[in-house]
This record gives sequence, structure tokens and C-alpha cells, in this order.
Amino acid sequence: MAEQNVNLCFRGLRKRLDVSFLLPRRTKWSILNTDPLGRLGAIANIMSVIATHQLTKIYPGGTKAVDGIDFEVNAGEIFGFLGPNGAGKTTTIKMLNTLIQPTSGTAAVAGFDILKNPDEVRRHIGYVAQDVGVDEYGTGRENLELYGHFYRLDGKTIKKRVEELFKLVDLSGYEDKIVSTYSGGMRKRLDIAMGLIHKPDVIFLDEPTVGLDPQTRVHIWEYIHNLAKAMGTTIFLTTHYMEEADHLADRIAIIDLGKIIALGTPNELKQSISGDVVTLSPCAVKDAECKEVIRHAQSVLSGESFVIGTQATDGELAVYVDKGESAVPSIMRILAGQGIEVKTISLARPSLEDVFLKYTGRTIRPQEGAHTTYAEMQRKRMRRQR
Amino acid sequence: MPVWIVINLVQPILWLLLFTQVFKSLATLPGLGGFSYLQFFAPGVMVMTVMFGSAWAGMGMLQDIDMGVLSKMLATPVTRVSILMSRVLASMIVLIVQALVIFTIAIIMGVHLETGAPGVLFTILLISLLGLGFAAFSNGLALLLRRAEPLIGIINLATMPMMFLSSTMMATSLLPGWLNTVRRFNPVDYAVVGVRDLVLHGYIWSDLWRSLVVLFCWAVAGMAFGLMMFRVKAE
Repeated sequence: MAEQNVNLCFRGLRKRLDVSFLLPRRTKWSILNTDPLGRLGAIANIMSVIATHQLTKIYPGGTKAVDGIDFEVNAGEIFGFLGPNGAGKTTTIKMLNTLIQPTSGTAAVAGFDILKNPDEVRRHIGYVAQDVGVDEYGTGRENLELYGHFYRLDGKTIKKRVEELFKLVDLSGYEDKIVSTYSGGMRKRLDIAMGLIHKPDVIFLDEPTVGLDPQTRVHIWEYIHNLAKAMGTTIFLTTHYMEEADHLADRIAIIDLGKIIALGTPNELKQSISGDVVTLSPCAVKDAECKEVIRHAQSVLSGESFVIGTQATDGELAVYVDKGESAVPSIMRILAGQGIEVKTISLARPSLEDVFLKYTGRTIRPQEGAHTTYAEMQRKRMRRQR
Repeated sequence: MPVWIVINLVQPILWLLLFTQVFKSLATLPGLGGFSYLQFFAPGVMVMTVMFGSAWAGMGMLQDIDMGVLSKMLATPVTRVSILMSRVLASMIVLIVQALVIFTIAIIMGVHLETGAPGVLFTILLISLLGLGFAAFSNGLALLLRRAEPLIGIINLATMPMMFLSSTMMATSLLPGWLNTVRRFNPVDYAVVGVRDLVLHGYIWSDLWRSLVVLFCWAVAGMAFGLMMFRVKAE
């Protein structure tokens, strides 16, 4: 009832209130023309640096990489785009960066439509791609200065910014060293600095820590965090690392198979899984028999009143319950009554991994290890052929 | 790195030294008009140096694509024309220096330059236009193909016949009739004819104008192709 009232109230407001004059002049919201909710949306959009509208990309051959997604990124926030390899993260970033054109739908970045005003979009964004796109044969300073000229900054400004940025990414003293002598982490930091030379409204970081060792990864997180705090830059980052999204992002969109399946702060997302997660395994080896036992356990536990939901994966069963502490003994007792012996059991507050599992029915990286590198190679090859 | 400019010069100098020795007796043929084969062939070597050099320009673009340098650049306000132009001009500068060095060596070896210093400038203009076209086509192909193997294949496939289906190595009057027809469609031939005029005969304006116009169109076509590939295939 209350919701309906609010809705009615808004509808009245929309009729009376034309707020299009509030928009900055440069802004061309194609959304305004197509979306009946446009004016209302526009009020919210004044604060948003990115707004997409049914953004879709279908590659030749029919692959629907991005499937009609809608989201907004607010000024000054770190927005994480979390999903497995091939979910559509890089495709989305490339559309927002004007590197590829959407098949349908559109988006506004920094107040400019990516289709109608790509040049203005480029002026206001920084892009740090997955591959470190720095000139190996130049010095760090030369790389940075070149990008300063790309944005037509004057020599004095460039000099000042170069000094600031080298300090920010902790590369002071390495300005005049050839980049091919840098370590992987140093290159990535230089790469990030290059995306910031013109003080962009928003910086896109595509998988910023992929291929870096865990220690370097934590360092890069620190730099990204400092950057957001020190410069107030809006950050749009994609990742397939749960802990990265959890650690860095103010808000997270989980994307799978080209669709956004959940969006919110890390805490909101975790709370969307009410209660605790009990993960148990009834078998020592993962075989067909194990699968059968898990299915049996799942059907038994689903009927219990204290169980909110269950999710079976390869060799394990996740049981969502209200109070984990009291649920564990009950689960053990019930399963024992069915002749199922529990080999391992653990209790945890829900993590993003559980959130992903809940919405997709899969873990984010079903086969990690050797396959990841191969998959990444494949992906790289595909990207080149596009 | 400057050392590579020197190393790249070795091959054309070998052409100059070896070919002129092997084909020395060709000078006795009536078609060469009494010039030594060295004198006759030197303009061809210059054109070949520029052609082969610029035809491989796309390999640099390919490297930029692979390392992610290109997509990073495309997300900046830099125009596509500038990105293409910068690559093309960079290879041009190197090639012009190389051509000048070959010119100097040829002169030291005894080649007489009929038109003097202004002829050198005119020569640079002609070979720059030729090279610009090749470099732009090569960069465009790199954008289109995205892989080294097919690019190498196409470059080899195109440059070899372009060299032979022209008057680079032989006087037009000594070429078979069909080849004389085919070379009319070959931009390399227009560069060779123009430069050879400047070196051997002086300002033959009917030839020079034709060469200039054709090579200009060739350069424009190359740039147009390169830019089109940015539209079609750029990530």
C-alpha cells in the first residue's frame, strides 16, 4: 500500500515538474527522449557519472556479450563490476570507453552520450586496459608526457602532473628509467598513472590486478584506494576476484552471461543471503555416488523449517540457515538419521562467493588453476580477432 | 634505435653492389641508352628501399595492438588520423634518411645526378608519396588482419611482383609488351620512372607530372584505406 502511494505521488510530480533545465547544457540525454521516466531519472542522473540504458552488444556470429544492462555509477564512488571470465565485463568497459559501439541501447559517460559525442567522452575518461599498454622502449616520464600531450595539456601542467602522479603511484626516482626495466607491478602503476594525467571524471580499470602476484595485488589495491580518496576520482573497475571487489568497491554489480544479476553495496549483497551458510560435504571423493548422496541430503534438508535455501555444487552442499550455531547439530542429526555421514562441515557468514552462487547456481571460477591461463589465452586471441 | 637504420641500409647497398656487378654487361644493350647499369639501376634501388621499408610498417602497428597500446590510445581524444599519420610519418623519416644515404653512396660509386640538388628534393617528394601509400596500406592491413602470419604473407605476395612488374631493373623499351601494359597500373613504376628521369635525363615534365599525380592518389588511397580499417575493425 505504502509503495503504491509513493508511486502515485511521483507520477504526480513528474507531470508537474519539468526539471530538464537543471541539466548542464552539454548534457544530451538520449535517455530523456525514449524513457517516459526520463525526467525523474534525470534528477538522479545529475549526480551520476555513468548511466547506461539497455546497453547491448551482440558480436558477429551471434554471441550476446552484453544483454540490455542498466546501471548508474555515482560521482566519487568505486563501482565494481564483478563476474567470471567471459561475463561481458570487458565488452561493457569498451562500449563505455567508445572503443566499440553497442548493438543497441546507449550510455552517458561524464554527461556525454557515447554514441553522439564520443570525442567528449574520451576527453573526460581515463582507461587502464587489462594489457599494460605502455611503451617499453621509452622512460616512465616519456610515457606520461606523451599522454599529457594527447589531452592537449600545456608543458607546465604536464610537468607538475607528472611529478604528482609519480609520487601518487610511488614511482618517484624511476621517472627516467626505461620501462622495460620496470617490474610488472611498477608497469601497472605507471599504466594507472597514464590514465590519470588529465584528471578524468572517471577512470576505467579493467581487471587491474590480473596476472600480478598476491603481494603486488594488495599494493595496487592501496594505490587505487588512495586515488579515490586523494583525488575524488570516480572509479569503474572490473574484476573476477571476489576479494578485490569486496575490498575496494563501494558498490558492486554482479554480471553473468551479459546480464546484471545483483547490484548493491558488498554488505547489502551479503545480507541478501539471509542468515549464515553451512557448507558440508558427505564424501571423500567427488564421484557420481557423491553427487547422488548430495542430492539426497539436499532434498531432505530443503524440507526442514529452519532451512532457508540450499545450493549443491561439485562435491559440496551449501545450506542457508537463520542461526548457524544451532543449525549445525540439527543438520548432523537429520543427515545421520538418513544414513548420510558428514565428512566435513563449516559455518560462515555469507561471502560474495555465496552471493554469486545464490544468483547463478555456480561458483565464480569453476575450474581454477591451469585452465585459467589457457582460458585467458583464448580470450586474448578472441579479443584480437574482433 | 639508430643502429637498426644502419643495418637496414646494408641490403640496398648489397643490391647496389651485387646487381650492378652481375648485370654489368647489360649496359651494352641498346635500351639503356649508353648508361652504365649502376647509373641505370641506382634510382630503382632507392625506390625499392622505400617500398620494402614502408610495406613492413604494419608490423609496428601489430605490436601496438598486441601490447594494448593501440586500444589505450583510441580511448584518448587523439584522432584516428593522427594515430595513423604518426606511424606513417615515423617510418617515412627513417626511409628518407636511408634513401639519402643510398643516394650518397651511389654518387660516390660514380653515379651522375643530372638535376643536381633540386632533383634530390623532387626525388624525396616522389618516394615519400610512394612510401606513405605503402605504409598506410600496411597499417590498415594490420588493423584488419590482427595477426602477423597473414600480414607477412600479403606483404611478400604484393611487394615481389610490384618490384618485377615495373621498369625497376630493366629499361621500358626492353620489357615484353604485356609487362609494359601491366606496369601502367603499378605505383612503383611511376616512382621509378620519375626518379630515373631526374637522375639520368633531367626534368621531363610529362613524366614527372604523371608520376606526381599517380603517387599522390596512391598515398591518398592508402590513407583512406587505413582510416577505413580503423572504422571497421578498431576495438
